[in-house]
Amino acid sequence: MASSTERTDTGFAAGIASLRPWIEVHASFRRRLVLGVVLMVLTALSALGLLAVSGWFITASALTGAALAAGMAATLDVYTPGAGIRLFAVSRTVSRYIERLYNHDTILRLLARLRARCFSGLVAMDGASLGARRSGDWLNRLTADIDTLDALYLRLLAPAAMALVLGAALVALVAVWLPQAALVLGVLLLFGWSWLTLGQARLGLAACRRRVVGLERLRSAMIETLGGLSELESYGALARRRGELEALEDELLAAQWRLSLITGFGNVLTTLVMGGAWWLVLIGGLAAFGGGQLGAAVLVMLPLASLALAEGLASLPAAFTQAGASLAAAERLNAIDQGCAAPAQASDATRAVAVHAAPRSGTAECGGLEIQATSLSYRYPRALDQALSPLNFRLAPGERAAICGPSGSGKSTLLALLAGELRGHQGRLTLDGQAVEALDRQWLSSQVGCLTQRVELFDASLAENLRLGAPEASPERLWQALVAVDLADWAQGLPGGLETRVGEGGRQLSGGQARRLGLARLWLTDPALVVLDEPYASLDAATARRVAEGIVPWLAGRTVLMLVHHHDPDSPSPGMEHIPRVIEMAAGTPWQARGECVTM
Amino acid sequence: MVQWVLLAKVLVLAIEGERSLSQLWPWLVSLLGLLGLRAGAGFAQECLAQRASQRLRRAVRHELLEHLFALGPVRAGRHHSAGLAHRLVEQVEALDAYTSRFWVQLRVVMVVPLVIFAIIAWHNWLAALLLAITAPLIPLFMALVGMGAESLNRDQFAAVTRLSGHFVDRVRGIATIRLFGADDRVTDEVAQVADDYRRRTLKPLRLAFLSSAVLEFFSSVAIAALAIYIGFGLLGDLPLEVADSLTLASGLTILLLAPEFFQPLRTLSQHYHDRASALAAAQALTELLDEPIDPSRVSPVSAPGATESPASSVLSGGQLVRLEGACLDHPGRGRVLGPLDFRVDAGEVVVISGPSGAGKSSLLAMLAGFVGPGEGSRQSAPGIAFAWMDQRPLLIQGSLADNLRLTAPNAGDDDLRTALEQAGLEPLVAALPEGLDTRIGENGLGLSGGQAQRLALARVFLSDAALVLLDEPTASLDRETEAVLIRGFRRLAGQGRALVIASHHPAILAMGDRRVELLDGRVTASGREQQEVAHGVVD
Repeated sequence: MASSTERTDTGFAAGIASLRPWIEVHASFRRRLVLGVVLMVLTALSALGLLAVSGWFITASALTGAALAAGMAATLDVYTPGAGIRLFAVSRTVSRYIERLYNHDTILRLLARLRARCFSGLVAMDGASLGARRSGDWLNRLTADIDTLDALYLRLLAPAAMALVLGAALVALVAVWLPQAALVLGVLLLFGWSWLTLGQARLGLAACRRRVVGLERLRSAMIETLGGLSELESYGALARRRGELEALEDELLAAQWRLSLITGFGNVLTTLVMGGAWWLVLIGGLAAFGGGQLGAAVLVMLPLASLALAEGLASLPAAFTQAGASLAAAERLNAIDQGCAAPAQASDATRAVAVHAAPRSGTAECGGLEIQATSLSYRYPRALDQALSPLNFRLAPGERAAICGPSGSGKSTLLALLAGELRGHQGRLTLDGQAVEALDRQWLSSQVGCLTQRVELFDASLAENLRLGAPEASPERLWQALVAVDLADWAQGLPGGLETRVGEGGRQLSGGQARRLGLARLWLTDPALVVLDEPYASLDAATARRVAEGIVPWLAGRTVLMLVHHHDPDSPSPGMEHIPRVIEMAAGTPWQARGECVTM
Repeated sequence: MVQWVLLAKVLVLAIEGERSLSQLWPWLVSLLGLLGLRAGAGFAQECLAQRASQRLRRAVRHELLEHLFALGPVRAGRHHSAGLAHRLVEQVEALDAYTSRFWVQLRVVMVVPLVIFAIIAWHNWLAALLLAITAPLIPLFMALVGMGAESLNRDQFAAVTRLSGHFVDRVRGIATIRLFGADDRVTDEVAQVADDYRRRTLKPLRLAFLSSAVLEFFSSVAIAALAIYIGFGLLGDLPLEVADSLTLASGLTILLLAPEFFQPLRTLSQHYHDRASALAAAQALTELLDEPIDPSRVSPVSAPGATESPASSVLSGGQLVRLEGACLDHPGRGRVLGPLDFRVDAGEVVVISGPSGAGKSSLLAMLAGFVGPGEGSRQSAPGIAFAWMDQRPLLIQGSLADNLRLTAPNAGDDDLRTALEQAGLEPLVAALPEGLDTRIGENGLGLSGGQAQRLALARVFLSDAALVLLDEPTASLDRETEAVLIRGFRRLAGQGRALVIASHHPAILAMGDRRVELLDGRVTASGREQQEVAHGVVD
């Protein structure tokens, strides 16, 4: 029992700690944030003032009226309270509107900044850490997590601060007439406030985490299911898969149910604290009134003022019960930041070298890059085996060769190493005599052009996909590229032409079309080294031959490396006629637990 | 509500009746009791509302999944799977706030203010009139503002769907973005889309806040007006008969009740965007549900074979599937297939070849019943079970065994091992420390393409399918893996299963009993040219 309490304690403390970087991000907007809280307090105080002054005014006028009726001389300044009532009525409205708009604007600015920052964090990760993460997670990260973080200020920090100030103002007001009651009230409110914020947050933490995890599981299971409908349907496994999805949904709903119970409990407590406050003030007031220390008007005013507590406390339980969601989001976002911190430093360190390497980009016209690999091997972190067994070869500038090996022998890994996507190999790999790990990634991406095993197309138009590496390319140039890969006829037949959208991952295209579009995209760039991983896979012999004819002129003057399963220069398969040299790779040990985790 | 009447009573008794604290205790205690009652009722209301909302969301998700399954892999595949998942998960969740909060509050709004109005009118009709003037304006203004917010909200949902699709898409291709050195450009693009999202969010908020400001304004003004009216009335400064009837008791009661009059409306307005979000979500969901289901498709959820197609009796003994004059049109791409006649007999191996884009995948999808023929007919043998394999095998997060049992829930570990062996994976799995319990991730992370394909092949072996449909199963694979797969296909054929394979790999062409050549969606050559094909391939 004791140990389990302790565990929640550390979990909660660690959760709070994980928020720190995000609170620090908030700090850059400090002035806006403080002003936001001030506006909130102003709104709540106006509500308090409106009720308090109204109650006082009514009671005072009743007493005065009664005195006048009894024929006594009595006067009441009606203008000051009247003006106060009108002022509070207007200030409440105005400050509320400005406050909400102002605060949301602040938050959305903050969020937009966070979102871009996260993506640039992701782009800065190296291939190995990228591959280990799943796209379903990332979707969640950029949209939901950052959105969840807006609760941090708007639903948590600001209302809690406002409630605290409001409570203090009320206690101070009561203390003017009823010091003892104010003391008790202060204790009650402080206890209530702490419970409704920290207590509720802790109580809801476990269920909240379960809910966040449940949502994520359900979402990725949905994505998997929808992507695999063909197989599920043909095997008649849809009904069972739906059963599994519903089990996941039930877990989610159970967590939500628990959260709504906790929130309900918090709301009960809020009602009791608010009610207790005015009840307490009422009793204190009645006692003082009986003793003659308190006027009737003030006796009415104080409980009425206490009613305004609702403005501050009512929203707290629901918000703080869900605080765990913000913590979970913050934790996941922290993981991205930690993931990209190291590579970012590495690229800083290599920048100086990059300047040194840059002039060599001029060699592109005179024959491409020279490659030299000496005992080059690679092992993924936590992998069972080497993804790339020791490899030795040299390619002269402008030379063309095929590297052959069965799948799993490390061809994709070699491509990733040449492109600078993977770092930390054993042995030596140099481009034009420069160690590849010392070269700037930007320079590498301009000099090394790769066609990866899986051609990744974006859910955008043909033109946008083609322009990925050549943003300035003219439509004529795009058509030339399509001609080179024998896609021009097909594209001309499309109703949308170059503006035709290719769908998610190029789904609207056949495998062969996607591959050729990938080649066309590469054709538009101007690298000194071209690495093509199975360029003719999923093309029929005739198409392969036509594509080869189209790209051979472009390959002139560049170093070319073809990654294929098999190549025999004496009886080349279609499209491989112009590759004179073969470098055989040792068959790698099969089954790398993370062998192909760079999805290329 | 009663507690405010009581509170006024206590105050008045104390002030005018000059009762001491001890005499007021019964009143004070009953006030506390009411407080407890109010808290308890609130709790019960929340629980009940949440229960109802959970039931509703379950039902909606069930229906949506059912519909997507009915749409089938080809039609449902036209949507972004992340976008669809967003609808099924987040947008259904958006219905929660509407059912559990807004809907309930809407009922409260219709009753509570009326009761309060009646009580105030009973105390003083002029005060009630003051409320009556301001109150009806509120829903009116809110409806006007709400209408604007709603249409904006619909835009926002479109933006969110686009944003989530855009992001997943760019993240999937992040390696390519790096290879092309387009980091900064795409980051800017993401920032732009994010900023677009921000602007789209802020616009409805401006209006949504305006509606709450309107409400705030009217409730403040009404309370202020009441306070001033009552105050002057009590002073006797108002030359009105009604005003003279005001006492401190009725005045305080009215003042205490006035905020309660507006409170339900204020709560409702806080939940107003819930309604707008729910409506927008509901519309997106309805759009999905409105997508017509291909009438020629057999219900997919009931296992194939459970339903007997009426036309199936037409098929003679050995035939498994038959297409007659079948055509398929894709919106935006025109006719992709047909008209063609096609037949698969039990135990035969049919190879479909043709240039890319000739309609090979469409033909297979039609054979599988994923799409119905737009024209013509498809008939299948009663009770036929079939297996499917393409270049993107379905992998779920979980263990290897989970992935294998996906389609064969009752298979024992030995069955799994046998299937893995037949698919040439057993030695690899045996080398893994955790064996069948090794976890694998989405999209074959941790598995190479060839390994994932072999896993899919093992699933085929686990099934008792009489017809196996294979869509370019060996594309992008090395000869070794290809050889393993082809050995597997032969073994499948040897088990007496019929195979239809779309491929142009020579080795697969060689194993066909029959070869069908497609060009622009039509059959250009067909026949049992086993010998010729086999000779042509040995190069």
